[in-house]
Amino acid sequence: CSRDTLDLTNPNQITTETFWKTESDVKSALAGTYGLFKNVNGGLWGVRGVELSNGRGDDFFIRNDVAALYQLSTFTNTPDNGVSEGVYNVCYRAIFRANQILENVSKVGLEADKEKAYIAEAKFLRGLNYFILVTNFGDVAIRTKVPVVTDDYFVAKSPEKDVWAQVIKDFTEAAADLPVTNYGRATKGAALGMLGKAYVYTKDYVNAATILQSLTMAPFNYSLTANYEDNFKEDTENNSESLFEIQLSDVGGTNPWAGENANETLGVTTAQEFAPGEVAGWFEVSPTDKLFNEFQKEKTTTNELDPRMYATLIWDYPGATFYNKPFTAFKLQFGFKSMFKKYQNYTQNNELKGSKGGDYTSSINERVLRYADIELLLAEALTMQGRTGDAYSYLQDVRSRAKLGLLANGLGQDAMMAEIRHQRMIEFAREGQRFYDLKRWGLLQQEITNSDKVGKQYFVNGKHDYFPIPQSEITTNAKMEQNERWK
Amino acid sequence: QKKITGKVTEDGTSQPVFGASIQVKGTTRGAITDEKGQFSLSVNPGDKLLVSSMEFESQEVTVGAENTIHIVLKKSTAGLNEVVIIGYGTVKKKDLTGSIATLKGGDIKTEGASNVSRALQGKLAGVTVEAAGGDPGAGMRILVRGVGTFNNANPLYLVDGVQVNNINNIAPGDIESMDVLKDASAAAIYGSRAANGVVLVTTKSGKNGPPVIQFNANFGSQKLIKKYDVLNAQEWATVSNMAHDNAGLARLDIAANPNQLGAGTDWQDAIYRTAMMQQYNLSVSGGTEHTRYSFSGQYNDQDGIVDVTGYKRYGIREKTETTKGRLKVGQSLILTRENWTKMPGGWGGQGGNPVGSAVKMIPVFNIYDENAIGGYSGASGPVVNVANPVAQLHLEDITTNVTSIIANAFAELTILPELKYKFNLGYTDAFISHKDYTRRYEVGGLFANPTNNLAQASNRYNLVMAENTLNYAKDFGKHSFQALAGYAYQKYVRDSSASAKNDLADGISELDNGAIISAVSGNKLVSTLVSLLGRVIYSYDNRYLLTASFRRDGSSRFAPAYRYGNFPSIAAGWNISNEKFWSLSPASVSMLKLRGSYGILGNQEFDDYGYAAVINSNINYVNGNQSKWFGAIQTTYASPYLKWENTETVDVGIDAAFLHDKLTLTADYFRKNTTDLLLKVPIPGSAGSAADPFVNGGNILNKGVEMGIGYNDKVGAVSYSVRGTFSSIKNKVLALGTGTQQIAGGQPTHHGADATLTQAGGEIAAFYLIKSLGIFQSQEEIDAYKGKDGQLIQPSAKPGDIKFFDANGDGTISNADRLDMGSSFPSFEYGLGINLNAYNFDLNLFLQGTQGNKIYNGLRQDLEGMNLEYNYARTTLNAWTPTNTNTDMPRAVIDDPNFNARTSSRFLENGSYFRFKTLQLGYTVPTRLLERAKISSLRAYLSADNLFTITKYKGFNPDIGRSGSILDRGVDFGHVSYPLARTLSVGIQLSL
Repeated sequence: CSRDTLDLTNPNQITTETFWKTESDVKSALAGTYGLFKNVNGGLWGVRGVELSNGRGDDFFIRNDVAALYQLSTFTNTPDNGVSEGVYNVCYRAIFRANQILENVSKVGLEADKEKAYIAEAKFLRGLNYFILVTNFGDVAIRTKVPVVTDDYFVAKSPEKDVWAQVIKDFTEAAADLPVTNYGRATKGAALGMLGKAYVYTKDYVNAATILQSLTMAPFNYSLTANYEDNFKEDTENNSESLFEIQLSDVGGTNPWAGENANETLGVTTAQEFAPGEVAGWFEVSPTDKLFNEFQKEKTTTNELDPRMYATLIWDYPGATFYNKPFTAFKLQFGFKSMFKKYQNYTQNNELKGSKGGDYTSSINERVLRYADIELLLAEALTMQGRTGDAYSYLQDVRSRAKLGLLANGLGQDAMMAEIRHQRMIEFAREGQRFYDLKRWGLLQQEITNSDKVGKQYFVNGKHDYFPIPQSEITTNAKMEQNERWK
Repeated sequence: QKKITGKVTEDGTSQPVFGASIQVKGTTRGAITDEKGQFSLSVNPGDKLLVSSMEFESQEVTVGAENTIHIVLKKSTAGLNEVVIIGYGTVKKKDLTGSIATLKGGDIKTEGASNVSRALQGKLAGVTVEAAGGDPGAGMRILVRGVGTFNNANPLYLVDGVQVNNINNIAPGDIESMDVLKDASAAAIYGSRAANGVVLVTTKSGKNGPPVIQFNANFGSQKLIKKYDVLNAQEWATVSNMAHDNAGLARLDIAANPNQLGAGTDWQDAIYRTAMMQQYNLSVSGGTEHTRYSFSGQYNDQDGIVDVTGYKRYGIREKTETTKGRLKVGQSLILTRENWTKMPGGWGGQGGNPVGSAVKMIPVFNIYDENAIGGYSGASGPVVNVANPVAQLHLEDITTNVTSIIANAFAELTILPELKYKFNLGYTDAFISHKDYTRRYEVGGLFANPTNNLAQASNRYNLVMAENTLNYAKDFGKHSFQALAGYAYQKYVRDSSASAKNDLADGISELDNGAIISAVSGNKLVSTLVSLLGRVIYSYDNRYLLTASFRRDGSSRFAPAYRYGNFPSIAAGWNISNEKFWSLSPASVSMLKLRGSYGILGNQEFDDYGYAAVINSNINYVNGNQSKWFGAIQTTYASPYLKWENTETVDVGIDAAFLHDKLTLTADYFRKNTTDLLLKVPIPGSAGSAADPFVNGGNILNKGVEMGIGYNDKVGAVSYSVRGTFSSIKNKVLALGTGTQQIAGGQPTHHGADATLTQAGGEIAAFYLIKSLGIFQSQEEIDAYKGKDGQLIQPSAKPGDIKFFDANGDGTISNADRLDMGSSFPSFEYGLGINLNAYNFDLNLFLQGTQGNKIYNGLRQDLEGMNLEYNYARTTLNAWTPTNTNTDMPRAVIDDPNFNARTSSRFLENGSYFRFKTLQLGYTVPTRLLERAKISSLRAYLSADNLFTITKYKGFNPDIGRSGSILDRGVDFGHVSYPLARTLSVGIQLSL
């Protein structure tokens, strides 16, 4: 035997030495980064992520089947909460991967324009993950490089405003070089939309208005779909209202919990978790009655309930059917008056199987950013600058689709904001916006207190605005400090 | 030269000694005695003849003028002249300096045990054998002197010198001896692979003489020892209604009228059965002066106590050895085929496997529904998705077949009488094929499988090893010297592939018929190891003994700069009783030896290719046109700087015999210090790795004492022997990662928080739990339980809820309040075997147990939760109510706002047990009755295994022995359990 006896090459996988040679390597790396948004344990648009982003809202109830979910939804969570830890970790996984693309894409030798577009796409992905981190955790570590030595694993956190600056930088740079159309992936519009949203979140209304306004004109031609519900169905995905959505389809393996490999389903199990037990669902959540009532505050021009209510909820109304069964076949489990219909596969008989046999797989894309959001954020940015008159048309566009009448002229800033807040609550129910909206409006305490949310008495203003830094991060990273309010 | 003839007889009995070796000293000439003890040999006057035979003391005779010679051999004392197998050779037990535990084939009685490791339980001091459940054909976890690593803690197994993954396929009847090398001195010659101990299995060889035919048969029946005591339908509905009422929620429709529900379905009765087993072993062995042979065949058929499950094993084995002049060649071959029918692991619900589902399934539901696809009924409506266990067993067929080859061939050349060269070639191959076929079904409302699906997987484990050794042995007067040098190479290859398809036609279970490919994967792992080894054994005047060994290993798993590890060891022994000053008579102390050893062993049990960063493929996404977009990127960090994990062992031991060797004692104290532990230490989540990289990140210390005692005597016609083992081992994690790092493990329930924590200063997988302080009896008590700032510590509590200890005083209950509540490792474990022989009867008893270990009962955590809709334990009938306050069972409440059912000390139990493991009564038919039938011996026996167990543990059985991660050890998890059975069997052992 020679020395070579011990020199073996991994026959299964290529190494970092042999990767980054072709454009298809870059594309694969992007897929591996996008895919984390639907990750079952921590992607914000995977199951636990949807439960996390919605669970703390005054419109949402989560039962105590998975204790970590119940705890976060009742404000009894602690730093070791596995769900908030999952979202935190998965964001950083995506950032690690986006940073790899940014550091390695130049090795491939692409044409300059192509290379710039890939860099922009990776920056969009990184920016979106920092957006998730900053809105949920506040001060977090900023990592823009791939660790080289062990010491690089340990990074201290940066103040929230610095994280926002990173978000704005990434989205700005992404918007500059992303194409206007890039079906199913990041586009210039998506980057501008997220940038505008970041400006609204940081109360930079002037920049917000400018950026968001640019999305209402050429080269963009976004518009609201005529039918609100088209935004939550499988056959009307990536439509005219969509700026960015998470692509889901039952074209992968069959197991949602397989981890990142060929067996993993490429859909999500959220619909299954939200569905009632009568159709094989796990009835983990329920809308609160506050949401149920909010929908009924204003009738349509023909004096009917808001069509968005029918698209969002199912309750006991004449002719109500759900999963091809009359509503009487279901039992409301938690004393609330309705169940979620939005994003459910209710035209099937149950939520057991995906189209290709994937366990509990739902293929309905999760919409991250809709044009309705752009219009309402723009209306808000304008209103907050006192330009209430300019805000009308955007707000009314959203109202008109819902068949609501013309809004009275001459509303002041407060009245205008009240209407925007009302519209956002019902327009985006179950879309993971409510809690974060209330937070930036400073209304968490008030709105949670006046709701029928389970656990509202445990809400501590300021503290529960953020999740604590996960205990595992504190334990493993000597440079990391816990969020002040969670110490 | 002249030809002499001679005869060898036994001292005292004058019986001929058959198979004794007579060697002309300093030459290769020799002879072996025949059945009459006779031999013939050409000699020169003045030659010295060395006469030796197993079980006898060797003798040297000088040839004189006579042409016939009579040699009388003395039986060797108390086995101390027994030969003990050590790495690459043998040594007489009296010359041994290392710590080795030996079990002879005769000690492995059939006992109804179907595999070898099960027969070992409690019999070897310092060797912990734990059941991996009662699954027929299930392996065992064997730990030699505790746990020194977080990775694969299995010992190195060698069967006739060939490395194998496990020894479960070896028939107990084929075993000549098993030697477990425990300390560094004994194991160091195996260097890198020996840190967890070495188990050497030697299969039976033929003996010089006419053929001996042996036939063993055993028939038995097995039964479940203990059911979980859960509620019947009416009782369940009562508790469920109480839980919903307490939560202010509507009652379940299925629980509406408890009184009309009756007993409902007993799901446990529905899956358990009395299971039959049978084993046969036929062997032929014999030999001539030049060649010895042994052949055998085995068949083992065991049904499991869980319906459908079962295990079958077929095997043949042969072993020969031929000597001609200077050359000795030998080979052995073991071929086995094992077929398992396994139970499903679960259908993705919260019930787990059929055993777990059978206790959690609500008794209101029915087993069958002839109108449903598949024919089974099950849970439906707003209840937790626990799958019908009977449906699981019958709708999913899971089979695993393993074909194994263990082959070994050697050639040994005697270059000089003292110098031998040996080339040894070992080869193992295991072909594992796994098939999992699921019929289409609709089981209740919560489980459906629209098409027939098939998943198949195949794995192949292949190992080739080649060893060249030179052995030199010579005595100079009182000096005895033995030296070994060698070079070894091995290559290990694992190939695996898996494929699955959906939508097969009814009744067809081959992949070609499937319409949709649902998963395809495959990979290959290769590792190589090259080694230099050397050893010197020296003894002076049978008084002073010295062994030194050295091994240098190079492994492909490490980066080039870190490939080689050096593993030295040294040991010394002192036979005090051979000293001239020794004046004690053999009637009191007949032998006394002190031993001491020091050495370093290595471990490289971690991932192949771990030092290079890889690109993970198949991390896919969906593109805009809703088709698959293949993804690939680096998801984890590499470990380029890893080096060998080292275990430094110090051992001090004593061997003694008393009362003319009637009483023997072996005792050892050892200290095993493992440094540079190969470990996946958690790195910050913000580093973005999908898994933690391996690092050399820890230090574990194991300390312990172990003892073996034996006593043999005869009273009248009754001869008896008593054998006891005792071991006590403590481990401590001295360092882990950067200091504050923790490794959590032992998830006890489907969603429950982890129960164990490993951190510096503590034990491996110690139980860290929130402490339960009992039940809040009133609102006043709840209001009075305040933190330092005056806030309520448990604001959601109501009377009847559990009070938890706010250990860190922060005014809230969280995982930060976990306390070290005990260990999953026993303070000590013991075994006691008693053999009695009188007239033609023999009686064997074996008792064993552990003391001081805790078990976390995860299944009870579910069953006493009363927070979710599945079945509950009978103890919940005594749940707290305002009128039933004298109880330790909290109130029933769905959704459990106070988290009464959280992972806490409530479910930690005493895991000590004492087990009457084996009782066997045998009768040997007197020879005179057999002579006419030409039968040499015939024994029949009755045997009972797992007769009874005394324990406070409330689960199925206290030796839960989870075989996965060592960090899960001690956590009884309902999803994976398979209770042990009590076995009654009858058998015969026939010899022709």
